[in-house]
Amino acid sequence: MPRHPHELSVVGSGTRITGRISGSGALRIEGQVVGDINVNGETELSEGASVEGNLHGESLDIAGSLLGDARSSGAIAVRSSAKVRGELRGAEISIEAGARISVRLETEFELDFGTAQKRR
Amino acid sequence: MAGTVIGEGLTIEGDISGDEEIVIHGNLRGRLTTTDAVTVGGTAVVGADITGASLSVAGQVTGDVTASERVDIQAGGKLVGDIKAARFTIADGASFKGNVDMEV
Amino acid sequence: MTEASVIGAGTVISGHVRGQGSLEILGRVEGDVSVTGNVVIGAEGRVRGTVNGAELRIAGQVQGDLRGSIAVLLEAGARVVGDISAPRVGIAPGALARGHVQTDGEPALAAARVPTAVVRPVGPPPRVAPLAALSPVVPKLEAKPLVLPTKVEAKPPPAPAKFEVKAPLPPPPKLAPPKPEVRKPEPPRVAPAPPQAEFTPVRPLKPEPRRPPPPVVPVLSKGIKAKKKKSQD
Repeated sequence: MPRHPHELSVVGSGTRITGRISGSGALRIEGQVVGDINVNGETELSEGASVEGNLHGESLDIAGSLLGDARSSGAIAVRSSAKVRGELRGAEISIEAGARISVRLETEFELDFGTAQKRR
Repeated sequence: MAGTVIGEGLTIEGDISGDEEIVIHGNLRGRLTTTDAVTVGGTAVVGADITGASLSVAGQVTGDVTASERVDIQAGGKLVGDIKAARFTIADGASFKGNVDMEV
Repeated sequence: MTEASVIGAGTVISGHVRGQGSLEILGRVEGDVSVTGNVVIGAEGRVRGTVNGAELRIAGQVQGDLRGSIAVLLEAGARVVGDISAPRVGIAPGALARGHVQTDGEPALAAARVPTAVVRPVGPPPRVAPLAALSPVVPKLEAKPLVLPTKVEAKPPPAPAKFEVKAPLPPPPKLAPPKPEVRKPEPPRVAPAPPQAEFTPVRPLKPEPRRPPPPVVPVLSKGIKAKKKKSQD
């Protein structure tokens, strides 16, 4: 499947989008988006940028403000400059100290206490 | 080169507004407003009214366009809608259907 | 002064662990951990319970909530099922966590709302002296701020005397739930109103109980003269 020549999309710092963004290709958000984003590619939310809505991407790098749920089939990295409120679901979630967050993490894994006595 | 670039694989349903240059290679259905230049690439399909400083169309645009400076429809480009601009060009091989108002 | 304690790799503690100083857990704890210092849970450490401390550094596994007054840091290999809250939270790549994670704001986000909630009941004065308007406010104040009540109780309030003397204060039955109690046996309840100045989450509730506001009850204003009925017998 030929990749699109113009693959990287950027929402500039002086741009505001109200509505849905979907499709394929990498996406970097430096401005403001109010609405859901569902992109089959790496998605980056730059410092100073803001998204109000749900964010789905192949991998997410969040350094700005996110108010909504974030889902990724890959990794979700929350940077120290980030501000996130919502639910995060990804194969791997990392959070840099300094980030301001109020989130629910939904990672699939089991504890291994060794005595096979699990309450949850 | 700052500004917004909507890649070929991307689709936006809604309004885009800003104060910088906007380049579209993907799909847009809604509205586009900026105080800077707008470029609609050859692969783009836009169903929206566009307002900007200038507009260059190489893809498909269905909607009214308003530019404070100029509107240029490139060869291979297609515009169905009204133009309101101080100057405009429609290249050989371009397609246009609509009214033109040069009184700005 | 702070001592460092260690729970060795082969040790299992069934019960709560509390105290001053720092704690390193290399073994297993089946119970809550609460220390004033830092807590380090080694890669083989296991805790089934809540962990409270200053800075929590976790490389092992925890089934329970983590609360750090300074920070909670999960290192690669850590696994945590429970809620995490601290001013700073770090989860390294390779660490796994499931639960609610909170850094900014405290649960008492509601406290910020108190002022508005408090002011409202004052609006429709229950046709009694202003004091009545004030008291409903008080119990509500109590509910929200988590830490404050303890502070308040510690102070013997001289003020309540004023209130009680002032008016019979029929505790507005509809508004405040614990009315009779609020009035007498627990001055602290009523007290908070004046010593407000201390924590001032709310602007001073117009501490002028002496002067009743103009009564809301529709009264004939001065300019109105009674209409005399025409029938004069």
